Amino acid sequence: MTPRIIAANLVVRLRSFYRERSAMFFTFAFPVILVLVFGTIFTTPEHLDFNLPVQDLSRSAASARLIDALSTDQTFRITPVPDGVDAAQYARQHKHNLVLVIPEDFAAMEARRLGARDASVSVPLRYIHDPSSTSVNAKIQALETIVAAMNQKMTGTPPFITLVATSILSEQYRFIEFFVPGIIAMAIMTSSLGNALNMNAELRQKGILRKLATTPITRTDWLVSSILYQLILSVASTVAILLVSYAVFDVRLHIGAWLPLIVVIEVIAFVGIGMLLTPFAKEAESASAVGNAFLFPMMFLSGTFFPVEMMPAFLQSFARLLPLYYVNEALRAAMIFADDPATLRMAGIAAGFAAIVFVAGTFKTRWDGEA
Amino acid sequence: MHHGMPNSSHAIVVEHLSKRYGTLLAVDDVSFSVATGEVFAFLGPNGAGKSTTAEIIETIRTPTAGHVTVLGMDVTKSKAKVVRRIGVLPQGFSSFDRITVRESLSYYAQVFGCKADVDALMDLTHLRDKADARFNTLSGGLKQRLGIAAALVNDPEVVFLDEPTTGLDPHARHAVWDVLKGLKDRGKTVFLTTHYMEEAELLADTVAIISKGRIVAADSPARLTEKHGDHLRLTLESSDAAAPALIRKMGFEPTQMSGASICVQVKDADDVRAILGEIERAGLSLRGIDVRKPNLEEVFLKLTEEHRPDTAGRGSR
Repeated sequence: MTPRIIAANLVVRLRSFYRERSAMFFTFAFPVILVLVFGTIFTTPEHLDFNLPVQDLSRSAASARLIDALSTDQTFRITPVPDGVDAAQYARQHKHNLVLVIPEDFAAMEARRLGARDASVSVPLRYIHDPSSTSVNAKIQALETIVAAMNQKMTGTPPFITLVATSILSEQYRFIEFFVPGIIAMAIMTSSLGNALNMNAELRQKGILRKLATTPITRTDWLVSSILYQLILSVASTVAILLVSYAVFDVRLHIGAWLPLIVVIEVIAFVGIGMLLTPFAKEAESASAVGNAFLFPMMFLSGTFFPVEMMPAFLQSFARLLPLYYVNEALRAAMIFADDPATLRMAGIAAGFAAIVFVAGTFKTRWDGEA
Repeated sequence: MHHGMPNSSHAIVVEHLSKRYGTLLAVDDVSFSVATGEVFAFLGPNGAGKSTTAEIIETIRTPTAGHVTVLGMDVTKSKAKVVRRIGVLPQGFSSFDRITVRESLSYYAQVFGCKADVDALMDLTHLRDKADARFNTLSGGLKQRLGIAAALVNDPEVVFLDEPTTGLDPHARHAVWDVLKGLKDRGKTVFLTTHYMEEAELLADTVAIISKGRIVAADSPARLTEKHGDHLRLTLESSDAAAPALIRKMGFEPTQMSGASICVQVKDADDVRAILGEIERAGLSLRGIDVRKPNLEEVFLKLTEEHRPDTAGRGSR
């Protein structure tokens, strides 16, 4: 192993990378765009749509009190629905996923219940909802909580059982906190595997290897420069993803010694896989096909975009065979939960996998013109 | 064919070299040597084992059997030492697409750990005005010249050029030849593989011809044509339809070429005089004559005849 030769290889590969726009885009811009797009879609709806159109057929002091309670703490933004229209029609027409109807006899019923103390009297509040909407359940839940609180208040005694929540997370944990480690792992996987495959195909197909085989460059020099090159790109892309995530979404993640360690493990694992797949990708065109055939299932089944627990049991068992699953789990254990034992376990499995494929890949890689 | 003794006057010594790919014996017990300072041209049809032999000497491939030394060092046992003292332009040279000429040369210099004068190398290969052009923007001839410059960064004692002009247009080919003559003048030992006879005749001190994995001839171009070209080629320009018949009657085998040309293979100058005399006596028209000694190309075709596609193809099917 010669540091001078490794440095020369690194310079050539970084220069080539810098001069290829599409490589730059897919390594840096693409993961950042994914974070921005998915982060925006899944982080904001909580504040976005808490509109509640209310059709107040009662028009009384009692119904005004109810509407008041619904809008305290800015839970709902109440918009009035005209009396004459059909509420369901209105919801469909104006694309509202939840519309509340206060019945005409609301005030009268309240008077009988509270004034006459008739415990058998209850009043139905009808809500029209669109069950296909993803955010409607949260709104219904909020509505039920407020109604329950009002019912409780009418009894005149404080509630007996109260619920106290304690989060297992040290900080509040949103979708974006789940998403960012997945994107870091995905970006490193894509560029490590892609670059390893493309470079090896280029070396062979174009015959650069024939020239390099007649220079003092050894196979070890080449492998070490490949790993270092990939590490530099991976660290740069991780930093870019984190910077954007902090700046735009103010993520709360634990950045410690685990992160760089897991990055190194992942790079070695996927450069190793790249070397093993090289015999199936002798040409640049087939290299990207072979790479994608491998990358896409890995990306969708390893919990990059959504938790593995959301998938059916057989897919979950399959996910446990994929190296990216362990990288994702390790990154999340470290960055979200700050759970050292879990991180160690998952990173350990990933490292074992990395060691096996890298050693196998090294034996498979020929550094001469015979291949 | 001179089976050289391994001594200091030989830059390359190949002894009983064989290379087998599965059932195919690509190189079959080949022996030859290259003297220090000479330009050695290695000729052969495609698939004759020419590049395989060259690549074994260049340390790119490993032999199945036999022994190859370059500058007294065994190429399989001392690969690391050998590569430092040789320069190789591999067949179909290619380099990193987005790296410029100057950067490529600096890269190879750094890999060899030597302080190469990149500017001088670019001057030698006439690449100075392309110094900042990226590899993927270069034409075929420029790529080959960069390959030659890259083969010289470590100031090698032996330079290998594997088909340096294949696929180049005549101008680019002559430009490469100029560079190669420059190498010869600088006293480098040059090992050249080619299938252009013109190239070998122009540049080589010694020519070896390989056919079906075996060396069929090795000598200087002049002696090869003398030894194997024991005939003359007479071309006559005659519009008379009777001329071919007349020549055939004399016991020769004329071939009607394009237009009014008739081509006859004869033994010596006496045959030429006899044919011309008969034509004159018969009063046939004669507008022009051309007598030519066979060139290396004809020797090559003769020696590698059984290798030609129309005959060799049948055996492999």
